[in-house]
Amino acid sequence: MGRVLLIFRLVLADVRRHPTQAVILLISITAATAMLGLGGSLHGATQALYQKTRAATAGPDVVAFAPGTGRTAIKTLTSLEHVPGVLTHSGPYREYYTKLTAHGSTGAAVAQVADMTPGPVDRPLVTSGHWIRPGGVVVERGFATALGVHVGDHVTVAGRSLPVVGIAVTAAHAVYPWAPGIGPGGGPSDGGGLIWLNERDTRALESAADTSVTSFIDLKLRDPGTALAWHRNPAVTSAIGDRWVNVRAWQLIAEQDSLMLKGSQPILVIGSWLLAFLAIAGVATLAAGRAARQTRRVGLLKAVGATPGLIAAVLLTEYLTLALLADALGLITARLIQPAIINPSAGLITTATGPTGTTIAVTTVVALGVAALTSLGPVVRALRTETVAALADTAHRPQHRAHLTRLSALLPTPLLLGLRLIARRPGRAVLHACDTAATLTTITGLLMIYAQPAKGYPGSSMANHLRDAQEHHVILAVTAALVALAAINTVTITWTTAQDARPTMAIARTLGATPGQITAGLSAAQLLPTLPGALAGIPLGIILCLPFSTANTTWPPAWSLLGAALAALPATAALTAVPARVAAHRSVAHTLSAEAT
Amino acid sequence: MQDALLAMLAKEPSYGYHLRTRLRRALGPLGESMNAGQVYVALTRLEKAGLIVSERADGLPERPDRKMYALTPAGQQRVAAWLAEVSWPKPDLADFHLKLTTAAAARLADPVELVAAQRRELMRRLRDAQHAALAEPDDSTAGLLLEGVVLRLQADLRWLAACERAWSGDENRI
Amino acid sequence: MDESGDVLRVRDLYKEHGHHESLVRAVDGIDLDVPTGQMLAVMGPSGCGKSTLLHLLGGLERPTDGEVWLAGRRIDTISERGLARLRRRAVGFVFQAFHLVEELSAAENVELPVLLAGGSPRAARRRAALLLERFGLADRARHLPWQLSGGQRQRVAIARAVANRPHVLLADEPTGNLDTTATLDVLRVFEDLRAAGQTLVIVTHDERVAATADRLISMRDGMFVDDTRLAGSTTGRLDGLIRLED
Repeated sequence: MGRVLLIFRLVLADVRRHPTQAVILLISITAATAMLGLGGSLHGATQALYQKTRAATAGPDVVAFAPGTGRTAIKTLTSLEHVPGVLTHSGPYREYYTKLTAHGSTGAAVAQVADMTPGPVDRPLVTSGHWIRPGGVVVERGFATALGVHVGDHVTVAGRSLPVVGIAVTAAHAVYPWAPGIGPGGGPSDGGGLIWLNERDTRALESAADTSVTSFIDLKLRDPGTALAWHRNPAVTSAIGDRWVNVRAWQLIAEQDSLMLKGSQPILVIGSWLLAFLAIAGVATLAAGRAARQTRRVGLLKAVGATPGLIAAVLLTEYLTLALLADALGLITARLIQPAIINPSAGLITTATGPTGTTIAVTTVVALGVAALTSLGPVVRALRTETVAALADTAHRPQHRAHLTRLSALLPTPLLLGLRLIARRPGRAVLHACDTAATLTTITGLLMIYAQPAKGYPGSSMANHLRDAQEHHVILAVTAALVALAAINTVTITWTTAQDARPTMAIARTLGATPGQITAGLSAAQLLPTLPGALAGIPLGIILCLPFSTANTTWPPAWSLLGAALAALPATAALTAVPARVAAHRSVAHTLSAEAT
Repeated sequence: MQDALLAMLAKEPSYGYHLRTRLRRALGPLGESMNAGQVYVALTRLEKAGLIVSERADGLPERPDRKMYALTPAGQQRVAAWLAEVSWPKPDLADFHLKLTTAAAARLADPVELVAAQRRELMRRLRDAQHAALAEPDDSTAGLLLEGVVLRLQADLRWLAACERAWSGDENRI
Repeated sequence: MDESGDVLRVRDLYKEHGHHESLVRAVDGIDLDVPTGQMLAVMGPSGCGKSTLLHLLGGLERPTDGEVWLAGRRIDTISERGLARLRRRAVGFVFQAFHLVEELSAAENVELPVLLAGGSPRAARRRAALLLERFGLADRARHLPWQLSGGQRQRVAIARAVANRPHVLLADEPTGNLDTTATLDVLRVFEDLRAAGQTLVIVTHDERVAATADRLISMRDGMFVDDTRLAGSTTGRLDGLIRLED
């Protein structure tokens, strides 16, 4: 018990002494696990939302459509009620394929005629306002969100302005912009949204010239699992005969709903791996930066009689606790962001769908792995060092890199200092180059996606915009997270380099180097590895995009890629300037006297 | 010095001139100031005490003082006793300490001033010794004697620093 | 240089650390003139402000009040850049903890200030070789600091400090971490420099280091309490040092 207390006291003391490092560690791992959690839970997430919506709205298992409103059509649909295995039904109803105008923009719409009280199957869930009344329409939530329509606004259908009395969700239609389904003619249709209105309000639609109409019936089956093959059921085929009836199973609607995410999933998955890599790079920098101090701390602990096991426990507990905390934070973040990504058109119920067990397991393993992998090396090294050597910190005898040093003698002072700093810790320069490469890889991916021409649904530019915006906002979010993490890493690396180089820099100042030269030197040490890293990031980004590209993929212009690589330089310079400046202006006398003790 | 001269004669008889040279070499720069007569005075006393005997050397009539000295059995005993002896010069600090206390008690002088003056004097001595030590090569035996002198002076100076701290802290203490 | 020939001149110097209750006057009203070529030792108990004084003289810290003139130039008012430039040429520092750049060889450490001051790599190499030879370290030029003994490290540090022929060499407890032999080595190097006309200010609590100086200042509580001229006041003879009983 006492030992556990001791471990936690030591861990707590260290975190309290270096809160910034703990926070950076937390942020790095949180970003990676959040992205990973998001990527992992994306698969099937929309399906889950659809299921929920289906349960809440008594969604149909099968919807059967017949063109027109003729007697034969109605009769055929009604005959389906009596097919064995059908439990209950709603309808038949009519729906009109028309145009709807709201706030000045016009889009394709399906106007479904509904009862004042919905039947037993497909009972849309009103999320605001109330259900339809004569002279008032209800707009599907995804459509309403896209149009920016709220309860109380007016929409124009077939030349008639009607007030919106409610917003609702349903499982009987695919979410915006796929509400029209296979359309009135049975073929592909434009993207569009769904509204419900009262029988009385359809008169204008009847007479409108450009409107087509379809009848349909919602059916509930005894075994919903058989819905996909239901239309091949002999009883069904005989009821339909040679008449034109389209049957849609609920599984097809669900699949249509998740289609919108298909574009963003690879972005999230690749993004999360890149983020995880950046997190490893960042945490490794931190761990390496702390190794020297840790070796001394281990020496002290050994000197007072701590066993290697206890010391390993102290060192690992700190990293692993922070990693677990970050994992939890990441999963919570993923959970909070998830609804916006998996339910892009707001057409489904967005109650919580927490991360699955697998996702939790994967993110936890990654978080702990990052912490363990990056801290294990320094811990083992610290434990292996002899107590006395650890106390004197002789384990960190720098290597002599004569060539680099000789080369640097020919350069102006800041470059001289920068190159000697790199010679001091070349591993860190490599890490920084990798960091930059990962960032540039994502930016390349972003440029690739922006370079693609808009494709998709003719006639409904609004729907296209929505889908593109969906992909772009996911990429933007991923890129923002990556750039932020890369920035944090750059600052961390500069800061650890500055900490490490503190005595050397103080000596340089006693020898007459100006703070400006020290600042420039520290920046130069980060800038030199940036360019090769940036240049390597571009081909890497292109390679990562290859699996998703097709013959007609548009490649972004070379100048934009090169520009992005070059922009990494001033960005790095700006990021390193502040920590370098702070470090360079520290009191020389203070640093040296602290070193001497 | 008498004991050292006896010890030098323990192995074989020697001339007075040789004894003086060997003594000076052992003492190094500190031996240079040694009076030439000092050795002969010591040898005469030892002879009188019956610890050594001397014999005039032949064949060098132009240097009549050339005498060969040798140990007597009594002298040999004395050498053995000297080597076994563990006496050590006692630090002679009481005098200065009493100077400070009495001066302070009678308000004759400021003890701190006395300490400072003493310090200056010892520093000058240390300077001479240190310069001599620096001039000696690293492996010199004589350098060791200088090192001892330097360390002694250093110890005295540190004691003076302690005195100064104490007396400047409380002027009226006796 | 001053017309008076003083390479260092300090007037009414004050340096305070901390605020209010925790205020410490590390340097409390000091006047000092150091003529060119003088070797000055400053002694005093730890915490008497002698290291702070040294930092003020070399422009590593700025005084709270007062003037510091170095080689005829007032340095307490000039910019940080100016101070850096000054340190490059006019001042050499030597520390107790050596403060060598650990990943550079002895020769490269000595080259560093020459390069910082804009000297060519060739000139730097020549100067380093010359100084290391002069200080008896010719065979250690390619060693890294941790491969050198304490005395050797300190001699490398001194070589580095004088690489740019500074007006004054400031040494803070240069023998504090050294044993007797190493101390003598360092003192010999100081002697060598003094003979060549180098002005030296050495802060020390080692009496034997102080004793080699031309002038000894004692400091207590940030003030000078004694200023003794040692050079010329001694006999140079060693009669009085030992007593040889007859």
